[in-house]
Amino acid sequence: MPKSVHITAPWPTQEEIEKLFPISKARKKELQALVDEFKAQLSRREDASVTPIAAEKRRKRASAA
Amino acid sequence: MPPPPDPRAVFLNIPYDEGFHGLYVAYIVGLFQLGLVPHLASEIVGGDRRLNRIIQLIQSCRYSIHDLSRVELSSSPSAAPRSNMPLELGMTITWQILNPDQHTWFVGESEPYRLQRSASDLNGTDPNIHSGTAEGVLRELRNAFPRDKMPSVPDMLAVYRFVNGFLDAILYKNGTSNPFDRSVFMELCWISKTLADLIRHSKPEVQEL
Repeated sequence: MPKSVHITAPWPTQEEIEKLFPISKARKKELQALVDEFKAQLSRREDASVTPIAAEKRRKRASAA
Repeated sequence: MPPPPDPRAVFLNIPYDEGFHGLYVAYIVGLFQLGLVPHLASEIVGGDRRLNRIIQLIQSCRYSIHDLSRVELSSSPSAAPRSNMPLELGMTITWQILNPDQHTWFVGESEPYRLQRSASDLNGTDPNIHSGTAEGVLRELRNAFPRDKMPSVPDMLAVYRFVNGFLDAILYKNGTSNPFDRSVFMELCWISKTLADLIRHSKPEVQEL
């Protein structure tokens, strides 16, 4: 067996994952709150480690994604 | 012949025990960070015999990881050896030998040379040594499945710590103490995938291979 395999398959889409792992709308909303919390943590961590201008650029990129 | 395997699907052959909870979460988080999709025997439903369902799952996955780090005697008074993981690895090897273009398997271990003692027939196989840590699992997943735009180990670890920190809350909401339960697995997959996308889109400077 190889020690590694270079992955070239496209990244799975959210729709594919939701089809594979269906969860209720209500539960998804609760989990989305956790995701938002992580997003805030990520933003605070980046703000602490970069210049204000770079932080602003990153925030804009994240909100556009 | 079964249909071709999903090129992103990874069958996880892991121990379903308490000492493995953290590494289990690390495997799920790490695979999604690399654009892969984990699958567990516990996610499949149906009245068919369990072994048949596991074979079908292996056949549907392009890759598999067989973590043998906890193949040891159980702690119960009768101390039976744990044979499910080697059994499923054996089934996978047979499938791969018969269909070499359809499947690639990897072995996870906690210590170097332990595999040679527990399964000497696998001599010549280089296991991925994760040292029994989440960081080790994430590092070895990156080593096994390199790809363009993969996140750094610290970024993967940050997501792992976040998800693992909410494991008890997810268990509570699903009315179980078993993180391998199908509903818990599905929620771990959903949140891991969503956070993987978040990291990927917020870090355009991540490593290009």
